[in-house]
Amino acid sequence: MKKIDIKLTVNGEQHEMAVAPGERLLDVLRERLGLTGTKEGCGEGECGACTINMNGQAVLSCLMLAVQADGATILTIEGLQKGADLHPLQEAFIGESAVQCGYCTPGMIMASDALIRNNPSPTQGMIRDALANNICRCTGYDRPVKAVLKAASQMKERKNG
Amino acid sequence: MDKLEVVGKPIKRIDGIDKVTGAAKYATDITLDNMLYAKLLRSPHAHAKVTHIDTAAAENLPGVKAVATILEVPKVLQYWYFLRTGKKEKQIYLRDNIVRFVGDPVLAVAAKDEETVSKALSLITVTYEKLPDLQDPVVALEEESIKIHSKGNVAMKAEKEFGDIQEGFNRADVIIENTYHTSKQKHASLEPIGSCVAHYQPDKRLTVFSSTQLPHWSRHYLAGALEMPLNKVRVIKPYTGGAFGGRCGLIHGLEVMCSWLSRKALRPVRLSFSREEDFIATESRHPMIIKMKTGATKEGIITANDVKIIADVGGYGTHYIGVIADCLSTGGALYKIPNYRFYGTAVYTNKSLCGALRGYGNPQMNFAQESQVDIIAEKLGVDPLKIRLKNYRPKGDMDPVLREKIQSNGLPECLEKGAAEADWDAKRCQLPGITVIKRGIGLSIMLHGTGAAGALPDPASATIMINADGSVNLLTAAADEGQGNRTVLAQVASEVLGIDIEKITVSDTDTAVTPLDCGTHGSRQAYSGGLAVKAAATEARNKMLFFAAKSLGVKQQKLGIKKGRIYELSDPENNILIHELMRQNQIGDMSLCEQVIGSFSGIASAMPGYYGAIFAEVEVNTETGEVRVTKLTSAFDVGRALNPDLVEGQITGGGAMGIGFALTEGLIVKDGHILNGNLTDYRLLRACDVPEIVPIIVESNEPTGPFGAKGIGEGAMVNVASAIANAICHASGVRLTDLCMTPENILQKLEEKTA
Repeated sequence: MKKIDIKLTVNGEQHEMAVAPGERLLDVLRERLGLTGTKEGCGEGECGACTINMNGQAVLSCLMLAVQADGATILTIEGLQKGADLHPLQEAFIGESAVQCGYCTPGMIMASDALIRNNPSPTQGMIRDALANNICRCTGYDRPVKAVLKAASQMKERKNG
Repeated sequence: MDKLEVVGKPIKRIDGIDKVTGAAKYATDITLDNMLYAKLLRSPHAHAKVTHIDTAAAENLPGVKAVATILEVPKVLQYWYFLRTGKKEKQIYLRDNIVRFVGDPVLAVAAKDEETVSKALSLITVTYEKLPDLQDPVVALEEESIKIHSKGNVAMKAEKEFGDIQEGFNRADVIIENTYHTSKQKHASLEPIGSCVAHYQPDKRLTVFSSTQLPHWSRHYLAGALEMPLNKVRVIKPYTGGAFGGRCGLIHGLEVMCSWLSRKALRPVRLSFSREEDFIATESRHPMIIKMKTGATKEGIITANDVKIIADVGGYGTHYIGVIADCLSTGGALYKIPNYRFYGTAVYTNKSLCGALRGYGNPQMNFAQESQVDIIAEKLGVDPLKIRLKNYRPKGDMDPVLREKIQSNGLPECLEKGAAEADWDAKRCQLPGITVIKRGIGLSIMLHGTGAAGALPDPASATIMINADGSVNLLTAAADEGQGNRTVLAQVASEVLGIDIEKITVSDTDTAVTPLDCGTHGSRQAYSGGLAVKAAATEARNKMLFFAAKSLGVKQQKLGIKKGRIYELSDPENNILIHELMRQNQIGDMSLCEQVIGSFSGIASAMPGYYGAIFAEVEVNTETGEVRVTKLTSAFDVGRALNPDLVEGQITGGGAMGIGFALTEGLIVKDGHILNGNLTDYRLLRACDVPEIVPIIVESNEPTGPFGAKGIGEGAMVNVASAIANAICHASGVRLTDLCMTPENILQKLEEKTA
């Protein structure tokens, strides 16, 4: 089948590649670029483990074709940390014990990152709604919700301070 | 040892950074050079004989490197009790041409890429001779003309009686009898069950990356199935995306098949199941039909319990012996019921196989028994909390099943603290309300065993190596699926050694470098793993003190260790830093050159019970049948919380899973086909569904445990469903006896009540 040329900016790096028309963005990230932090939990858009950030919005990379992402700017969990310091969300997920098996964690952090970008002061209810797309089987969600609340308030403080 | 420095503290998990940065590698993330991709062809029939397989066209397709079928690759009916002798072990490998459920693997193809694999699979023809199938365990139990396995359809029958059941019922003033049905719950770990990479090398070594809970037993099964020596098989468990019992050994059709393909192709092979394959063809919870007759005196003393269980095993048996035994050991020991009779029957059906799932048989048994106790309390007009306090089996009593003395039991404190948090006394007296929404509160209690010492081969081992800079390598195969036991074991090592936890590295879970460990099951790792690490660390500590005594000119007994420094207890100024001593020992003193190594291998001295009380608050909509859990208070006696943060994580996570078991989770099987094998139709709780769950830790100090600890992981979900059923009854007056408690079930009961 004829391949299609696309351009992607992933975690600040530019990539050009020829992809099959049916190739998923998730597979491009995981198999071609080796960015395995983005997980596949169902492949059907039900669990949220593959959530990434595309052009500032949370996107399920298992439901997106690579060709649909042509020209996009993409951020994955691997690109969240700047330099030696963890991102406030990453710090808060550790600090609030919001991580157990960790398989949902990258998707949950990326969904939370998109939430905070669009709404710097989310309430607990807003966070629960925003994370409703992300299944976690281990924690019961309380700790992840608290982690997002904490990270949001810290990011606001840092911005203001 | 004086005041604890590290144990009991909410130390942050040692794998946190790996997991929040995406650096953590799970089995599906592993790619080896020259790796092939494999996929299974699965049976479309619930029961059939494979009469012919034509793979010629597929094998001729360019890029196809290996094909393997069930005619050559054995299935493993795993339960490690059978590993005790070579003769017993032979019973667990089954090589035949029968498929026993829809989705049962028939063959697998390995090829250069996934596209070629799919094409090859489409070129294969399998000829089946369809056999009549059995879906209902009650029918399968009686049916003799259709045999799912050569020995018949009854996998096992267990019978046990203590006391005199007839005498117990003679003494009773009230006797009730009910039949309960429980659902086919799925683990639904976020990483689908079934992902591995196998690499068989030309020098006849096999390395398998697999998300198994039991790496050493998995190695043993693989060596047996592939007829290889144990030392040539290496199982590496990478990070695992949740397990909950679903990875309690090998996965049906996964590691053995993948290794077989790799051996044929002499190349690494990756085989990963999709979410749908996880749902339709990996283990689930045993659905049970539980008939229970219970008697009590008018004072509320339970005098007799008569239990008959039929467990639906599915097409292949794995854990059914343990699951049935668990029903007896938890149900029979929780209360001091003097007269107890238990019949447990496990029956094969042509459904997907069942196995271990958080709680084993206990959530099913507990749902029935804790419902019975509440019904009796209601009939007698006794407070459900008080009837439990009257009947629970306290510390000092003999466990009638394990024949061990109960050495710790914090149930009264769990009930007391839980009742205070939930405001039980006030809420239990409140009326359910006059609108269609009825409010209620219910409670239940549970007992679950820690580990399986004495019941199963249950070894735990650890090795501690102190380095020349005072840092430590801890070698352990205590598989961590996310609960955090590697962190807890590092805490135990740090506490005993007097060395900062940051200086302790816990090894990969790799059978090539770790000594024998049963693995992670039965809430055992903080307890059994903790005991092993404590013993290994104690040996290393004593060796360090021995060398320090010589260096400081003081008797060993007069030395202490704190923060990496060994000092004379009566004169702390006389001291030496561990890293200085270790460098001198290992490198500096060329006549010595000895590394301090401590190790332990063996078994825990007991299988202590841990206890819990759960209070559930619900709203029942009597028009729609919907139930909303508004709050869960879960108080658990864990002996001692080695890391309270991690214990709370287990309690809240178990609470959410328990609500799912109670209300929404169950596979729906029709004519052998699973109808809801996806995450939309199999309804898991999401962030917006979970109520406030308040974890309460009670510490009863188990004398056989490391620093007093016992288990928590499985128990956290065991009695959620029973507490919710009891709350629904309090709110709406209807008693649900079937799981899940769906709106349809509730409406039907409400209609029966008004009719």
